[in-house]
Amino acid sequence: MDLLANLALGFSVAAAPENLLLCMVGVIVGTMVGVLPGIGPVASIAILLPVTFGLSPAGALIMLAGIYYGAQYGGSTTSILVNIPGEASSVVTTLDGFQMAKNGRAGPALAIAAIGSFAAGTVATFLVALLGQPLTRVALMFGAPEFFALMVVGLVLAVVLASGSVLKAVAMILLGLLLSTVGSDLSTGMPRLSFGLMELSEGLSFVVIAMGMFGIAEVVRNLQAPEQRGIVRGKVTNLMPTRADLVQSAGAIGRGTVIGSILGVLPGGGAVMSSFAAYTLEKRIARDPSRFGKGAIEGVAAPESANNAAAQTSFIPLLTLGIPGNAVMALFLGAMTMQGIVPGPQVMMFQPSLVWAVIVSMWIGNLMLLVLNLPLIGVWVSMLRVPYRLLFPAIVIFCCIGGYAVNNSSLDVILTGAFGLLGYWLVRHDFEPAPLILGLVLGPLLEENLRRALIISSGDVAVFFTRPLSASLLLAAVILLAFSVLPAIRKRRHEVFVE
Amino acid sequence: MGSKPKPAARRRIRAPRDFYGGLALMALAAFAWWGSLNLSGMQGVQFGAGTAPRLFAGLLFLTGGVIAVMGLIRDGEPIGRYGVRGPLLVAASILLFATAIRPLGLPLTSFLTILLTSAASDEVRWLESILWAAVLSAACTLLFVYALGLALPLWPSF
Repeated sequence: MDLLANLALGFSVAAAPENLLLCMVGVIVGTMVGVLPGIGPVASIAILLPVTFGLSPAGALIMLAGIYYGAQYGGSTTSILVNIPGEASSVVTTLDGFQMAKNGRAGPALAIAAIGSFAAGTVATFLVALLGQPLTRVALMFGAPEFFALMVVGLVLAVVLASGSVLKAVAMILLGLLLSTVGSDLSTGMPRLSFGLMELSEGLSFVVIAMGMFGIAEVVRNLQAPEQRGIVRGKVTNLMPTRADLVQSAGAIGRGTVIGSILGVLPGGGAVMSSFAAYTLEKRIARDPSRFGKGAIEGVAAPESANNAAAQTSFIPLLTLGIPGNAVMALFLGAMTMQGIVPGPQVMMFQPSLVWAVIVSMWIGNLMLLVLNLPLIGVWVSMLRVPYRLLFPAIVIFCCIGGYAVNNSSLDVILTGAFGLLGYWLVRHDFEPAPLILGLVLGPLLEENLRRALIISSGDVAVFFTRPLSASLLLAAVILLAFSVLPAIRKRRHEVFVE
Repeated sequence: MGSKPKPAARRRIRAPRDFYGGLALMALAAFAWWGSLNLSGMQGVQFGAGTAPRLFAGLLFLTGGVIAVMGLIRDGEPIGRYGVRGPLLVAASILLFATAIRPLGLPLTSFLTILLTSAASDEVRWLESILWAAVLSAACTLLFVYALGLALPLWPSF
């Protein structure tokens, strides 16, 4: 009954009035920002990171988690209402969701998305709680070589499962790793790559790079692209789905939850991939596949359940192993570090109340979304009408103030801008910023474990291959990487993301 | 639009995005390598301060090189037009914020920064922007200084 005791512990912290309030603020702000065009969950979290500086560690993480699934929810709202996916993981929701809206069934589509997300979130929360402890125990047996190998596998998987060029993703991870070495050396304290600047002797701030790459770069990119925006037709009435709707989507919600929970644990675009996979599965097993794309309710229920389940279970590797699987988890890891928490299996052992509070707050947040969002649809719709010319100055000023607030340093503000321009340039050359952030936050851990492993083995690189666990992990990484560049697999991978 | 883009096969550089992207990464890696030259390398089995930076820089240089070469032999998209007004004005307004925040304080600096940024969009309407800048800078001050208690300078210091 460890599990129940742990959940109770988490509940006692998460249900404290202050944390409940933060959870609610996070969920509402997240939905708001998720609805706004041109700002996905990663950008929302990056831009709002400075808001959590003054909070307690538990409060900060609870609020950020709230922002995360709030933004996911907001993204699906815009997919259904105006055919604009707020983020990659709700792209498939547009296929049937917008068709339902066109047929005057926007209400049931939104409701089933919320109900599916909640059901999936509930299952996934229990899964996180269930798997948390055994995985932590395994992780505690790991030595430096195993951790190094595990991080390599994580990075490789993130490359293989991401869309776009494998080679370019590798380059971005390396650039992130390189940027992570700026600042004092871990063991000698020597300033590295700081070029005589005092401000850089403590390293590049993770918040600065995240805000630049995701906030400013997005603004600059969107300013160039002409704005495309659908029109919300009529009013959303008749929210409640019919009995037939519920019966029809129950199976889809269940299957979506299973797919999402499994894929979410894997590094890489968990939420994105699982929504595609869930939709494809529904279409394949449907008695009449031609209904899909014309407003089939399963086409909304399955991907929305899947992406929410995946969003939740992607916390498992972060909370147990201290290894982020995607850009959002990388931002969480960065936020934890800023709060003075050293991520890894120790967190679960020594700060159980923090971890369990975050886990329980996920469920509370999902409940809040279910209760709050449907009545607030009108507010979200009106947010959709905010023109970009008013929106982007707000993003820019948030990034400026946030950049300054990290260390009260003007140089950080300038660096935010510089990384914004770098991010814009990278995107123009088809380099994605997400692997860079992953490399940036994993860099110090990777370096330290590599160093320690080599000291343990007196400099013998064979240590990674003679220890069975690290050897098999590294072997898996090599096989994955080799497979991903094989033409046949590359073609299939491409199909998954294009379909 | 101007002249029609040449078919990819007839361009000398077949995938300019990849080619120039790879070259730039190589340059960045070379710069980092040069910047870490004064740091010690491996000391027996111990990593020196410069080992990791040079390791990552070296790998980045190689990867950038492969990307650039692939850009020569495989077809790809042309680079397209970079925005000028957007990046320039956004960068200028960030510089303005960085230099003005200490002498002018948060409300005034935010107001000016928001005004300058607003000009980055072609759709800017000045009266609206001035009002929006006033509202937004007040909101930011309330949020960051009063609600969140961050230590930001408030008023101009003479």
